[in-house]
Amino acid sequence: MLLADCGSTWTKIYDTENDTLRIIQTSEMVECNNCHFAIATGHSARSRCNLFRNELLALASGARAMVDSSSFTVVDVGGRDIKLISIENGRIGKIDWNLACGSTTGATIELLGRYYGIDFSEMEPSDEWINVTCGVFGMEKVLEFVSTGGLPSEGLARFIHGLVRNVHNFAGRPRRLYLSGGFCENSCFVGTMEKYCEVIPLGRAVLVEGLKAVQDE
Amino acid sequence: MKISNNEKVIGYFGFPSRRILGEARKRYGERLELVDLDVAVGAPDSGLLNTTTCRIIANVIDNAVYLSGRLAAVVADVGESKCDRGRHAAFLLREMGFEVMESRFPRDEFENRDLIYSTGRGPLPDRINAIMDTVVDPTDPGREAVTSCEPTHGFWGVPPNDFRILEVFPETTHIFGWTRCVEAGRPGDLEMECYVEEGLPTVFFAQSFCAKQDLAHHLAGRNNGLYVDCHRSVNHSILSKVEAFIKLS
Ligand code: SF4
Repeated sequence: MLLADCGSTWTKIYDTENDTLRIIQTSEMVECNNCHFAIATGHSARSRCNLFRNELLALASGARAMVDSSSFTVVDVGGRDIKLISIENGRIGKIDWNLACGSTTGATIELLGRYYGIDFSEMEPSDEWINVTCGVFGMEKVLEFVSTGGLPSEGLARFIHGLVRNVHNFAGRPRRLYLSGGFCENSCFVGTMEKYCEVIPLGRAVLVEGLKAVQDE
Repeated sequence: MKISNNEKVIGYFGFPSRRILGEARKRYGERLELVDLDVAVGAPDSGLLNTTTCRIIANVIDNAVYLSGRLAAVVADVGESKCDRGRHAAFLLREMGFEVMESRFPRDEFENRDLIYSTGRGPLPDRINAIMDTVVDPTDPGREAVTSCEPTHGFWGVPPNDFRILEVFPETTHIFGWTRCVEAGRPGDLEMECYVEEGLPTVFFAQSFCAKQDLAHHLAGRNNGLYVDCHRSVNHSILSKVEAFIKLS
Protein backbone atom coordinates (compact mmCIF):
# COMPACT_ATOMS: atom_id res chain seq x y z
CA MET A 1 0.00 0.00 0.00
CA LEU A 2 1.32 3.46 -0.91
CA LEU A 3 0.94 6.46 1.39
CA ALA A 4 1.98 9.85 0.04
CA ASP A 5 2.62 13.32 1.32
CA CYS A 6 2.48 15.45 -1.83
CA GLY A 7 4.06 18.75 -0.83
CA SER A 8 4.37 21.73 -3.13
CA THR A 9 7.98 20.85 -4.05
CA TRP A 10 8.62 17.30 -2.86
CA THR A 11 6.46 14.20 -2.68
CA LYS A 12 7.25 11.63 0.00
CA ILE A 13 5.96 8.16 -0.87
CA TYR A 14 5.94 5.43 1.75
CA ASP A 15 5.48 1.82 0.74
CA THR A 16 3.97 -0.15 3.62
CA GLU A 17 4.92 -3.50 2.03
CA ASN A 18 8.66 -3.01 2.21
CA ASP A 19 8.84 -0.12 4.69
CA THR A 20 10.61 2.26 2.30
CA LEU A 21 10.33 5.99 1.80
CA ARG A 22 10.93 7.43 -1.66
CA ILE A 23 11.19 11.16 -2.24
CA ILE A 24 10.54 12.56 -5.70
CA GLN A 25 9.84 16.03 -7.05
CA THR A 26 6.15 16.89 -7.01
CA SER A 27 6.46 18.13 -10.60
CA GLU A 28 7.46 14.54 -11.50
CA MET A 29 4.55 13.12 -9.51
CA VAL A 30 1.92 15.31 -11.21
CA GLU A 31 3.17 14.28 -14.63
CA CYS A 32 2.96 10.59 -13.79
CA ASN A 33 -0.37 9.25 -15.06
CA ASN A 34 -0.47 6.14 -12.91
CA CYS A 35 0.63 7.63 -9.59
CA HIS A 36 -2.19 6.63 -7.30
CA PHE A 37 -2.06 6.25 -3.53
CA ALA A 38 -4.12 4.47 -0.92
CA ILE A 39 -3.98 7.40 1.51
CA ALA A 40 -2.50 10.80 0.74
CA THR A 41 -2.20 14.38 1.87
CA GLY A 42 -1.33 17.58 -0.03
CA HIS A 43 -3.52 19.49 -2.43
CA SER A 44 -2.15 17.86 -5.57
CA ALA A 45 -2.96 14.43 -4.12
CA ARG A 46 -6.70 14.98 -3.88
CA SER A 47 -7.56 13.28 -7.15
CA ARG A 48 -4.81 10.68 -6.85
CA CYS A 49 -5.84 8.76 -3.77
CA ASN A 50 -8.55 6.58 -2.29
CA LEU A 51 -8.55 8.47 0.98
CA PHE A 52 -7.52 12.09 1.42
CA ARG A 53 -6.42 13.59 4.71
CA ASN A 54 -5.79 17.31 5.01
CA GLU A 55 -2.24 18.41 5.77
CA LEU A 56 -2.89 19.83 9.22
CA LEU A 57 -4.64 16.66 10.37
CA ALA A 58 -1.76 14.58 8.99
CA LEU A 59 0.78 16.81 10.74
CA ALA A 60 -1.10 16.61 14.04
CA SER A 61 -1.40 12.81 13.95
CA GLY A 62 2.20 12.38 12.81
CA ALA A 63 3.58 14.65 15.50
CA ARG A 64 1.43 12.99 18.17
CA ALA A 65 2.86 9.63 17.10
CA MET A 66 6.44 10.87 17.18
CA VAL A 67 6.56 13.22 20.17
CA ASP A 68 6.46 11.72 23.62
CA SER A 69 4.85 14.66 25.40
CA SER A 70 1.33 15.91 26.02
CA SER A 71 2.30 19.54 25.39
CA PHE A 72 4.36 20.55 22.37
CA THR A 73 4.57 22.81 19.35
CA VAL A 74 5.42 21.51 15.91
CA VAL A 75 5.96 23.49 12.72
CA ASP A 76 6.26 22.13 9.23
CA VAL A 77 8.24 24.49 7.03
CA GLY A 78 7.58 23.69 3.41
CA GLY A 79 8.42 25.15 0.03
CA ARG A 80 5.60 27.66 0.03
CA ASP A 81 3.99 27.65 3.45
CA ILE A 82 4.34 27.05 7.16
CA LYS A 83 1.98 24.84 9.15
CA LEU A 84 1.66 24.93 12.90
CA ILE A 85 0.09 22.68 15.52
CA SER A 86 0.44 23.21 19.22
CA ILE A 87 -0.90 20.71 21.71
CA GLU A 88 -1.48 21.68 25.32
CA ASN A 89 -2.12 18.89 27.83
CA GLY A 90 -3.20 16.59 25.03
CA ARG A 91 -5.71 19.10 23.65
CA ILE A 92 -5.34 21.22 20.59
CA GLY A 93 -3.98 24.66 21.48
CA LYS A 94 -3.29 26.40 18.22
CA ILE A 95 -3.64 25.55 14.56
CA ASP A 96 -2.40 27.73 11.77
CA TRP A 97 -1.35 27.57 8.18
CA ASN A 98 0.53 30.52 6.84
CA LEU A 99 0.16 30.50 3.12
CA ALA A 100 -0.27 34.13 2.18
CA CYS A 101 2.43 35.77 4.30
CA GLY A 102 5.03 33.01 4.40
CA SER A 103 4.66 32.39 0.74
CA THR A 104 7.42 30.69 -1.20
CA THR A 105 10.16 31.39 1.33
CA GLY A 106 11.26 27.74 1.47
CA ALA A 107 11.28 27.36 -2.29
CA THR A 108 13.21 30.62 -2.64
CA ILE A 109 16.02 29.28 -0.45
CA GLU A 110 16.33 26.24 -2.71
CA LEU A 111 16.26 28.44 -5.80
CA LEU A 112 18.92 30.83 -4.51
CA GLY A 113 21.07 27.94 -3.32
CA ARG A 114 21.02 26.45 -6.80
CA TYR A 115 21.55 29.83 -8.45
CA TYR A 116 24.68 30.57 -6.41
CA GLY A 117 25.83 26.91 -6.30
CA ILE A 118 25.79 26.84 -2.50
CA ASP A 119 26.44 23.69 -0.50
CA PHE A 120 23.99 24.01 2.40
CA SER A 121 25.92 21.54 4.54
CA GLU A 122 28.84 23.95 4.68
CA MET A 123 26.82 27.07 5.33
CA GLU A 124 27.24 28.70 8.75
CA PRO A 125 24.36 30.40 10.58
CA SER A 126 24.56 34.17 10.53
CA ASP A 127 23.93 36.56 13.45
CA GLU A 128 22.53 39.08 10.97
CA TRP A 129 19.14 38.75 9.37
CA ILE A 130 17.15 40.34 6.61
CA ASN A 131 13.45 41.05 6.60
CA VAL A 132 11.80 38.19 4.75
CA THR A 133 8.30 39.50 4.12
CA CYS A 134 7.90 36.90 1.41
CA GLY A 135 10.11 34.93 -0.96
CA VAL A 136 10.29 37.65 -3.60
CA PHE A 137 11.09 40.52 -1.21
CA GLY A 138 13.67 38.36 0.56
CA MET A 139 15.29 37.30 -2.72
CA GLU A 140 15.59 40.93 -3.77
CA LYS A 141 17.48 41.69 -0.54
CA VAL A 142 19.88 38.78 -1.09
CA LEU A 143 20.57 39.86 -4.68
CA GLU A 144 21.27 43.38 -3.48
CA PHE A 145 23.55 42.12 -0.70
CA VAL A 146 25.58 40.14 -3.21
CA SER A 147 25.65 42.95 -5.76
CA THR A 148 27.17 45.25 -3.14
CA GLY A 149 30.03 42.84 -2.44
CA GLY A 150 28.57 40.41 0.12
CA LEU A 151 29.24 36.67 -0.09
CA PRO A 152 26.27 34.72 -1.51
CA SER A 153 26.48 32.18 1.35
CA GLU A 154 26.27 34.99 3.90
CA GLY A 155 23.36 36.60 2.04
CA LEU A 156 21.49 33.32 2.03
CA ALA A 157 22.30 32.67 5.70
CA ARG A 158 20.77 36.07 6.51
CA PHE A 159 17.70 35.15 4.48
CA ILE A 160 17.45 31.89 6.45
CA HIS A 161 17.81 33.87 9.68
CA GLY A 162 14.91 36.11 8.57
CA LEU A 163 12.78 33.05 7.83
CA VAL A 164 13.71 31.49 11.19
CA ARG A 165 12.51 34.63 12.99
CA ASN A 166 9.22 34.48 11.10
CA VAL A 167 8.75 30.81 11.91
CA HIS A 168 9.61 31.30 15.59
CA ASN A 169 7.16 34.21 15.93
CA PHE A 170 4.49 32.33 13.98
CA ALA A 171 4.85 29.40 16.38
CA GLY A 172 4.25 31.72 19.35
CA ARG A 173 7.93 31.81 20.44
CA PRO A 174 8.02 28.45 22.20
CA ARG A 175 11.04 27.40 24.25
CA ARG A 176 11.15 24.06 22.48
CA LEU A 177 10.13 23.60 18.87
CA TYR A 178 9.63 20.35 16.99
CA LEU A 179 10.50 20.83 13.36
CA SER A 180 9.00 18.92 10.44
CA GLY A 181 9.92 19.03 6.76
CA GLY A 182 12.96 19.39 4.55
CA PHE A 183 14.57 22.08 6.70
CA CYS A 184 15.33 19.44 9.34
CA GLU A 185 18.23 18.53 7.02
CA ASN A 186 19.44 22.12 6.66
CA SER A 187 22.04 22.61 9.39
CA CYS A 188 22.12 26.37 8.83
CA PHE A 189 18.36 26.60 9.43
CA VAL A 190 18.47 24.36 12.50
CA GLY A 191 21.57 26.14 13.86
CA THR A 192 19.94 29.53 13.39
CA MET A 193 16.72 28.38 15.07
CA GLU A 194 18.83 27.22 18.04
CA LYS A 195 19.63 30.88 18.69
CA TYR A 196 15.97 31.27 19.65
CA CYS A 197 14.85 27.97 21.16
CA GLU A 198 15.62 24.31 21.56
CA VAL A 199 14.96 22.57 18.23
CA ILE A 200 14.06 18.93 17.78
CA PRO A 201 14.04 17.92 14.10
CA LEU A 202 11.48 15.21 13.36
CA GLY A 203 12.47 14.74 9.73
CA ARG A 204 10.63 14.82 6.45
CA ALA A 205 8.18 12.02 7.07
CA VAL A 206 6.00 13.44 9.85
CA LEU A 207 2.94 13.77 7.61
CA VAL A 208 3.54 10.26 6.30
CA GLU A 209 3.56 9.09 9.95
CA GLY A 210 0.20 10.85 10.28
CA LEU A 211 -1.09 8.88 7.29
CA LYS A 212 0.06 5.64 8.92
CA ALA A 213 -2.12 6.56 11.87
CA VAL A 214 -5.09 6.92 9.47
CA GLN A 215 -4.33 3.46 8.17
CA ASP A 216 -4.53 2.13 11.73
CA GLU A 217 -7.85 3.87 12.47
CA MET B 1 -30.60 37.79 -3.24
CA LYS B 2 -33.66 36.14 -4.72
CA ILE B 3 -35.37 38.15 -7.44
CA SER B 4 -38.43 36.49 -8.86
CA ASN B 5 -39.37 38.75 -11.78
CA ASN B 6 -38.46 41.93 -13.57
CA GLU B 7 -40.36 44.32 -11.36
CA LYS B 8 -38.88 47.00 -9.15
CA VAL B 9 -37.39 45.86 -5.87
CA ILE B 10 -36.22 47.47 -2.65
CA GLY B 11 -32.64 46.64 -1.80
CA TYR B 12 -31.32 46.64 1.75
CA PHE B 13 -28.10 45.80 3.49
CA GLY B 14 -27.15 44.95 7.06
CA PHE B 15 -30.05 44.81 9.48
CA PRO B 16 -32.17 47.93 9.01
CA SER B 17 -34.68 48.68 11.71
CA ARG B 18 -38.01 47.03 11.01
CA ARG B 19 -39.66 50.44 11.38
CA ILE B 20 -37.55 51.93 8.53
CA LEU B 21 -38.06 48.86 6.35
CA GLY B 22 -41.79 49.29 6.89
CA GLU B 23 -41.57 52.98 5.96
CA ALA B 24 -39.65 52.09 2.80
CA ARG B 25 -42.37 49.65 1.82
CA LYS B 26 -45.06 52.24 2.46
CA ARG B 27 -43.20 54.83 0.42
CA TYR B 28 -42.07 52.70 -2.52
CA GLY B 29 -44.68 49.95 -2.67
CA GLU B 30 -45.97 47.42 -0.15
CA ARG B 31 -45.70 44.61 -2.64
CA LEU B 32 -42.15 45.25 -3.76
CA GLU B 33 -39.76 42.45 -3.02
CA LEU B 34 -37.02 43.17 -0.47
CA VAL B 35 -33.62 41.92 -1.60
CA ASP B 36 -30.51 41.55 0.53
CA LEU B 37 -27.68 43.31 -1.31
CA ASP B 38 -25.01 41.87 1.02
CA VAL B 39 -25.14 38.48 -0.62
CA ALA B 40 -22.85 37.38 -3.48
CA VAL B 41 -25.04 36.32 -6.38
CA GLY B 42 -22.58 36.65 -9.22
CA ALA B 43 -23.20 40.29 -10.13
CA PRO B 44 -20.37 41.53 -12.35
CA ASP B 45 -17.56 43.44 -10.66
CA SER B 46 -18.49 47.12 -10.88
CA GLY B 47 -14.84 48.07 -10.37
CA LEU B 48 -15.96 51.02 -8.27
CA LEU B 49 -14.18 50.02 -5.07
CA ASN B 50 -10.57 49.29 -4.35
CA THR B 51 -9.51 45.68 -3.97
CA THR B 52 -8.95 45.98 -0.22
CA THR B 53 -12.62 46.55 0.52
CA CYS B 54 -14.59 44.08 2.57
CA ARG B 55 -16.20 41.70 0.10
CA ILE B 56 -19.67 42.16 1.61
CA ILE B 57 -19.59 45.89 0.89
CA ALA B 58 -18.30 45.16 -2.61
CA ASN B 59 -21.33 42.87 -3.03
CA VAL B 60 -23.63 45.72 -1.97
CA ILE B 61 -22.20 48.09 -4.57
CA ASP B 62 -21.91 45.46 -7.32
CA ASN B 63 -25.48 44.24 -6.73
CA ALA B 64 -26.86 47.79 -6.68
CA VAL B 65 -25.10 48.67 -9.94
CA TYR B 66 -26.25 45.40 -11.48
CA LEU B 67 -29.89 45.98 -10.49
CA SER B 68 -29.59 49.66 -11.22
CA GLY B 69 -32.96 50.93 -12.65
CA ARG B 70 -34.84 48.10 -10.92
CA LEU B 71 -33.90 49.39 -7.50
CA ALA B 72 -36.72 51.60 -6.23
CA ALA B 73 -34.58 52.40 -3.20
CA VAL B 74 -31.84 51.08 -0.95
CA VAL B 75 -32.43 50.83 2.78
CA ALA B 76 -28.95 51.19 4.19
CA ASP B 77 -27.91 50.05 7.65
CA VAL B 78 -25.45 52.80 8.57
CA GLY B 79 -25.37 52.39 12.33
CA GLU B 80 -23.49 50.38 14.93
CA SER B 81 -25.64 47.49 13.79
CA LYS B 82 -23.39 47.28 10.71
CA CYS B 83 -20.18 49.26 10.34
CA ASP B 84 -18.60 52.43 9.00
CA ARG B 85 -18.11 50.78 5.65
CA GLY B 86 -21.89 50.42 5.46
CA ARG B 87 -22.28 54.14 6.19
CA HIS B 88 -19.76 54.95 3.47
CA ALA B 89 -21.45 52.59 1.00
CA ALA B 90 -24.73 54.45 1.61
CA PHE B 91 -22.95 57.71 0.83
CA LEU B 92 -21.45 56.29 -2.38
CA LEU B 93 -24.80 54.89 -3.52
CA ARG B 94 -26.47 58.24 -2.96
CA GLU B 95 -23.70 59.98 -4.95
CA MET B 96 -24.33 57.47 -7.73
CA GLY B 97 -27.94 58.57 -7.89
CA PHE B 98 -29.65 55.80 -5.93
CA GLU B 99 -32.54 56.60 -3.63
CA VAL B 100 -31.16 55.79 -0.18
CA MET B 101 -32.96 55.55 3.15
CA GLU B 102 -30.60 55.35 6.10
CA SER B 103 -31.32 53.20 9.10
CA ARG B 104 -29.80 53.01 12.54
CA PHE B 105 -31.12 50.28 14.78
CA PRO B 106 -31.62 52.07 18.09
CA ARG B 107 -31.26 50.24 21.41
CA ASP B 108 -34.85 50.98 22.33
CA GLU B 109 -35.95 48.94 19.30
CA PHE B 110 -33.86 45.94 20.38
CA GLU B 111 -35.92 42.76 20.62
CA ASN B 112 -35.47 39.60 22.59
CA ARG B 113 -36.38 36.91 20.15
CA ASP B 114 -35.83 33.21 20.80
CA LEU B 115 -32.52 31.86 19.50
CA ILE B 116 -34.11 28.97 17.70
CA TYR B 117 -31.71 28.65 14.78
CA SER B 118 -28.59 29.71 16.71
CA THR B 119 -29.02 26.99 19.29
CA GLY B 120 -30.60 24.41 17.02
CA ARG B 121 -29.30 21.43 15.14
CA GLY B 122 -29.01 21.30 11.37
CA PRO B 123 -26.78 22.31 8.48
CA LEU B 124 -25.08 25.57 9.44
CA PRO B 125 -25.56 27.29 6.03
CA ASP B 126 -29.33 26.65 6.17
CA ARG B 127 -29.66 27.97 9.71
CA ILE B 128 -27.67 31.11 8.90
CA ASN B 129 -29.80 31.73 5.82
CA ALA B 130 -32.93 31.23 7.93
CA ILE B 131 -31.64 33.79 10.44
CA MET B 132 -30.93 36.34 7.73
CA ASP B 133 -34.43 35.81 6.31
CA THR B 134 -35.86 37.00 9.64
CA VAL B 135 -34.65 40.52 8.81
CA VAL B 136 -37.56 40.91 6.38
CA ASP B 137 -39.87 38.25 7.78
CA PRO B 138 -39.71 38.21 11.56
CA THR B 139 -42.55 35.73 11.93
CA ASP B 140 -41.69 33.44 14.82
CA PRO B 141 -40.78 30.11 13.21
CA GLY B 142 -41.69 28.31 16.44
CA ARG B 143 -39.45 26.11 18.56
CA GLU B 144 -40.35 23.10 16.45
CA ALA B 145 -38.75 24.65 13.31
CA VAL B 146 -35.38 23.27 14.42
CA THR B 147 -34.50 20.74 17.10
CA SER B 148 -32.40 22.33 19.80
CA CYS B 149 -29.20 20.55 20.75
CA GLU B 150 -26.19 20.59 23.02
CA PRO B 151 -23.41 22.25 21.04
CA THR B 152 -20.20 20.48 20.12
CA HIS B 153 -18.74 23.53 18.34
CA GLY B 154 -19.40 27.21 17.81
CA PHE B 155 -19.36 29.51 14.82
CA TRP B 156 -18.89 33.19 15.63
CA GLY B 157 -19.22 35.89 13.01
CA VAL B 158 -21.16 37.43 10.17
CA PRO B 159 -22.61 35.35 7.32
CA PRO B 160 -19.53 34.81 5.15
CA ASN B 161 -19.24 35.84 1.54
CA ASP B 162 -18.39 32.23 0.64
CA PHE B 163 -20.72 29.81 2.42
CA ARG B 164 -18.49 26.82 1.63
CA ILE B 165 -16.65 27.49 4.90
CA LEU B 166 -19.89 26.74 6.76
CA GLU B 167 -20.26 23.32 5.17
CA VAL B 168 -17.30 22.00 7.16
CA PHE B 169 -19.09 22.47 10.50
CA PRO B 170 -21.09 19.68 12.15
CA GLU B 171 -24.85 20.09 12.56
CA THR B 172 -24.38 20.52 16.30
CA THR B 173 -22.64 23.89 15.85
CA HIS B 174 -24.19 26.81 17.69
CA ILE B 175 -24.14 30.29 16.22
CA PHE B 176 -22.64 33.34 17.96
CA GLY B 177 -21.56 36.88 17.15
CA TRP B 178 -23.41 39.27 14.85
CA THR B 179 -25.50 36.50 13.28
CA ARG B 180 -26.83 35.51 16.70
CA CYS B 181 -27.61 39.17 17.39
CA VAL B 182 -29.63 39.27 14.17
CA GLU B 183 -31.72 36.32 15.28
CA ALA B 184 -32.29 37.96 18.65
CA GLY B 185 -33.24 41.21 16.91
CA ARG B 186 -30.40 43.09 18.59
CA PRO B 187 -27.80 44.06 15.95
CA GLY B 188 -25.20 46.34 17.49
CA ASP B 189 -25.51 44.77 20.94
CA LEU B 190 -21.77 44.45 21.52
CA GLU B 191 -22.16 42.50 24.72
CA MET B 192 -24.26 39.88 22.99
CA GLU B 193 -21.96 39.90 19.98
CA CYS B 194 -18.98 39.05 22.19
CA TYR B 195 -20.73 36.25 24.06
CA VAL B 196 -19.55 32.70 23.42
CA GLU B 197 -19.97 29.58 25.49
CA GLU B 198 -17.00 28.96 27.75
CA GLY B 199 -14.97 25.93 26.76
CA LEU B 200 -16.88 25.38 23.52
CA PRO B 201 -14.45 24.96 20.59
CA THR B 202 -15.38 27.97 18.49
CA VAL B 203 -14.24 29.28 15.12
CA PHE B 204 -14.12 33.08 15.05
CA PHE B 205 -14.71 34.19 11.50
CA ALA B 206 -14.42 37.67 10.00
CA GLN B 207 -14.35 38.95 6.46
CA SER B 208 -10.93 40.34 5.57
CA PHE B 209 -10.75 44.14 5.77
CA CYS B 210 -13.57 44.26 8.32
CA ALA B 211 -13.19 45.93 11.72
CA LYS B 212 -14.67 42.80 13.27
CA GLN B 213 -11.33 41.10 12.58
CA ASP B 214 -10.05 42.82 15.73
CA LEU B 215 -12.93 41.41 17.78
CA ALA B 216 -12.63 37.96 16.26
CA HIS B 217 -8.89 37.83 16.85
CA HIS B 218 -9.22 39.01 20.44
CA LEU B 219 -12.08 36.66 21.28
CA ALA B 220 -10.31 33.70 19.68
CA GLY B 221 -7.30 34.35 21.91
CA ARG B 222 -9.45 34.74 25.00
CA ASN B 223 -11.48 31.61 24.34
CA ASN B 224 -8.82 29.36 22.88
CA GLY B 225 -10.68 29.32 19.59
CA LEU B 226 -9.60 29.46 15.98
CA TYR B 227 -9.41 32.83 14.26
CA VAL B 228 -10.07 32.78 10.52
CA ASP B 229 -10.47 35.57 8.04
CA CYS B 230 -11.25 35.27 4.40
CA HIS B 231 -11.68 37.75 1.56
CA ARG B 232 -13.44 36.47 -1.57
CA SER B 233 -13.49 32.68 -1.73
CA VAL B 234 -12.25 30.24 0.85
CA ASN B 235 -9.14 28.35 -0.15
CA HIS B 236 -7.77 24.93 0.69
CA SER B 237 -5.70 26.15 3.63
CA ILE B 238 -8.63 27.96 5.28
CA LEU B 239 -10.92 24.95 4.90
CA SER B 240 -8.18 22.64 6.19
CA LYS B 241 -7.61 24.83 9.25
CA VAL B 242 -11.29 24.80 10.14
CA GLU B 243 -11.61 21.09 9.43
CA ALA B 244 -8.55 20.28 11.55
CA PHE B 245 -9.77 22.48 14.41
CA ILE B 246 -13.17 20.82 14.38
CA LYS B 247 -11.77 17.29 14.23
CA LEU B 248 -9.04 17.83 16.80
CA SER B 249 -10.89 19.84 19.43
S1 SF4 C 1 -18.14 42.15 7.02
FE1 SF4 C 1 -17.53 43.81 8.39
S2 SF4 C 1 -16.84 45.48 7.06
FE2 SF4 C 1 -17.99 44.03 5.83
S3 SF4 C 1 -20.06 44.82 5.80
FE3 SF4 C 1 -19.97 43.34 7.46
S4 SF4 C 1 -19.44 44.51 9.27
FE4 SF4 C 1 -19.01 45.82 7.49
